[in-house]
Amino acid sequence: MNWKRALLAPAIAVPVIALFGWGLTRDPGYIESPLPGRPAPGFALEVFAPGTAPLARPAGDSIHLDSLRGRIVVVNFWASWCLGCRDEHEDLTRTALAYADRPVSFVGVLYMDQQPAALKWIGEMGGQSYPSVDDPRSRMAIDYGLYGVPETFILDAQGVVAHKQTGPISAAVLTRVVDSLLAVPTGAK
Amino acid sequence: MNEFWKKRRWPILGLAVILAAFGWLLFGGLDKNVIFFLTPAELLAKGPDAVDRPVRLGGQVKPGSVQWDEKSLDLRFVITDGAGDVAVHSTGSPPQMFRDGMGVVVEGRVGADSLFRASSLMIKHSNEYRAPAEGQRPQEMYRTLFKDQPK
Amino acid sequence: MGPLGRGSVIGALVVTALAMVIIPVAARRGRRDWLEIGYAAVHTNLLLLSIAMAAMMSALVTHDFSVGYVAQVGSRATPLLYTIISLWGALEGSILLWGWVLAFYAAAVLSINKHREGNLVPYALAVLMGVMLFFGILLVGPANPFGVVSPVPADGPGPNPLLQNHWLMAVHPPLLYMGYVGMAVPFAFAIGAMLAGEVRQDAWMQLVRRWMLVSWAFLGAAIIAGMWWSYEVLGWGGYWAWDPVENASLMPWLTATAYLHSAMVQERRGMLRLWNVNLVAGTFVLTILGTFLTRSGIISSVHAFTTGTIGYYFLAFIAVVMLFTLVMVAGNSDLLKTEGKLDSAASRETVFLLNNLLLTAFTFTVLVGTLYPLIAEAVRGVKVSVGEPFFDRMSLPLLVLLLFLMGVGPALPWRRTPEGTLGSRLGVPVVGAVLALAIAVLLGRREPWALIAFACIGYALAATLREFATGSAARRAAHGESWPLAFARLVGSNPRRHGGYVAHIGIFLVAIGIAASGGGRLEREGTLARGETLTVGDHTVRLREVYGLQEPQRYVIGARLEVLGADGATIDTLSPRMNFYTSSDQPVPTPDVRSTWSGDLYANLQTFRNDGTTATVKIISEPLVGWIWLGGAVVVFGALIGMLAPRKRLAAEAS
Repeated sequence: MNWKRALLAPAIAVPVIALFGWGLTRDPGYIESPLPGRPAPGFALEVFAPGTAPLARPAGDSIHLDSLRGRIVVVNFWASWCLGCRDEHEDLTRTALAYADRPVSFVGVLYMDQQPAALKWIGEMGGQSYPSVDDPRSRMAIDYGLYGVPETFILDAQGVVAHKQTGPISAAVLTRVVDSLLAVPTGAK
Repeated sequence: MNEFWKKRRWPILGLAVILAAFGWLLFGGLDKNVIFFLTPAELLAKGPDAVDRPVRLGGQVKPGSVQWDEKSLDLRFVITDGAGDVAVHSTGSPPQMFRDGMGVVVEGRVGADSLFRASSLMIKHSNEYRAPAEGQRPQEMYRTLFKDQPK
Repeated sequence: MGPLGRGSVIGALVVTALAMVIIPVAARRGRRDWLEIGYAAVHTNLLLLSIAMAAMMSALVTHDFSVGYVAQVGSRATPLLYTIISLWGALEGSILLWGWVLAFYAAAVLSINKHREGNLVPYALAVLMGVMLFFGILLVGPANPFGVVSPVPADGPGPNPLLQNHWLMAVHPPLLYMGYVGMAVPFAFAIGAMLAGEVRQDAWMQLVRRWMLVSWAFLGAAIIAGMWWSYEVLGWGGYWAWDPVENASLMPWLTATAYLHSAMVQERRGMLRLWNVNLVAGTFVLTILGTFLTRSGIISSVHAFTTGTIGYYFLAFIAVVMLFTLVMVAGNSDLLKTEGKLDSAASRETVFLLNNLLLTAFTFTVLVGTLYPLIAEAVRGVKVSVGEPFFDRMSLPLLVLLLFLMGVGPALPWRRTPEGTLGSRLGVPVVGAVLALAIAVLLGRREPWALIAFACIGYALAATLREFATGSAARRAAHGESWPLAFARLVGSNPRRHGGYVAHIGIFLVAIGIAASGGGRLEREGTLARGETLTVGDHTVRLREVYGLQEPQRYVIGARLEVLGADGATIDTLSPRMNFYTSSDQPVPTPDVRSTWSGDLYANLQTFRNDGTTATVKIISEPLVGWIWLGGAVVVFGALIGMLAPRKRLAAEAS
């Protein structure tokens, strides 16, 4: 072995590997969402899955985004046919309960699905602690620029989109973002 | 060194010329054929700079904007990303399930009249599959075509 | 089935690690008994992964939705064939198949070379097991196909609609994996030879020759099958779009092709040692790079699978492979000096050198074009993609030159061309070029590049046929054999060379198909009511009806088109369809093709009115497309001939 020459190897390999490493942190199909940093589009949709106490809202009730001003809102788009939604379900339900006594609201939004199938799914998954609304014509999904499910938007107390998650969200991310928003004094307008 | 250079001058020079020519062709070719990937807002922000450059434009079909003439195959619609709208014109048929709010990517060039002329139109597939919604299942949408079929 | 598969995969990882460590240690210390243990571990690895494959297959077929992978790709309504092939329809399953193929190759390498003296085989096996270890880790960790789903869903979404729409999906991925994974064997032998200190001897190249040829043939067949699939399923009437996934399979094939030629220069003349090691190593790195590009989602592609963390595993593996390989090659470069030198410019080795130069330039072009979006984003912060015109314009001159060289190479002897024969050797095939050019012009072709391509193909084809003709004639004259017998014995006397020529003929067929279908393509789109017609070139179709059809796993809307002959009578019908799968709101186009030897009439249903009163169809007339698929088969046939052992007696006679 000629070790002097062997040292040439890293000189060639390292830049290539660094490029790939950097590339992995990007998503080539990702189109920057115009939403983060902007006020979230309003919505008023009917609850079809009430959730469980203490977060329950009766089915048929309408949830208006405006009425949630002053609270941090976690909007999660899901469907019963979506596998990624299974992964995040447990984390969402648990985190929602953990913040039950804080000014935080979780809202599930059903995307391109039927209510009976969705209710059955909630049953199978062992319940959903927070209410879900139906978005039958995908109007809200269009307003929010949805590319697929699951997708989660976290809005601050002023109704501005603070975080957008494409794909399953974890309890860790939820807690981190919600905590950082809770740390901002609500009166700061 | 001198001896070495004398002996191999021509092969080395030749190789250098070939490599330089190839590199020039390669990167010149790349520069001319690069297609920028933009959102409508980014395209609008570029203004005249973007005119007649190949662009891939990604966004959503603005609800209510789709017009298609099935005889002339003239297709017009607006692509939006919430922050900007771009009018798109293409010749050909829209995909069968083309509808409002769908994520699409069109490739083409924007003209001085700020109309985007698309040479190809792709539906932006999300990684998750999605099941058709109520009223959009083929057996409901194309009822007459399936009427002779056993249910 | 889940726990059984999970257990087997974990067990396979353990025995792989054992084999990887114990085999080189045993070889170094000369411990035959330890070596036997390591060898047994190689076979056990294959056994365990076969059990895992069987477990997955049975879970798929019995719709056991408690297994993560089945819940992801299975569906009760999917027909059996597509249920079986959904094994490679998503990431985890394809990694399992990959690992199994690698285990199979490793066991085959062991069985074939077990009794060879020296440390080359043990070290090569250790390298293979090192690669295996990576795939074992993937299967246990980030690409675990046997994850447990709870609660168990009643039914699954079914495979990706695009992948369950055509039988070619049963063929293309396995071929691709056989080719991709097979490239690990030459790599392992090259590295093994350096580790064992045997790289100065060329023995490793002898052992590698057939493996390289097998993998090359599989990869070539996979590329052609992929083109065919794309043609039959995607509905745009094309077969190659320079998509990163296509490029990823093309690049290692190009470098492997270069190696198949330059290896001969080393064997004959002792030249290009360092270059050949680089080609073998580079080919393997390109297969891993290709997998990385398409599996990590780093570059957007229509075929890319979704992934989580697997990209980082691949990155780590590429880093290890690249660093290790480069250190080994650079460190051993003193041993890889050239002995021979070029005697004359007019010799076969010169042509092989040029061929290698062109193939490398081509590979580099494709690599740069594929990676450029990444580079541009890193350096300039812009999102771009590289358009097809770049690839087309760059590759066309290189391909045409390569075709021309395929006519020059066979005509020239090794070392130097005897004085005065150069003119006739290179001059006679010009007849073929003129003939091809005349035919192309008569058929109405006017594009300069296509005409040059046809002339080069004609030239090379004539030169190749001339080799067969003069060889057979010589045998006939010397032995009084009949033409067919003389031909068969000629091929048998040197199957490697003549298999190569057959493969060349296959490439000419592919090139003719591409040049003709690319330039001669006519396309029209129109909306038809029942009874209305649409004409493209000299083909006319008439819409008879739009129909709906329900099948267990999908709804089908089709248009029945009558193909009209010159006299207006119906000569055939085409039924392009749209298949609506329950798991997707986007229909899968299913074009219908009427294929004849002279060209295809391709029809795709673009859209239709909901009540079925009109259909918008695209019809495309493409000359000679079928020649591409045929040519692919001929290339594989040539590779098969090349694998035959020369018939000793005849070879002795021939020399």
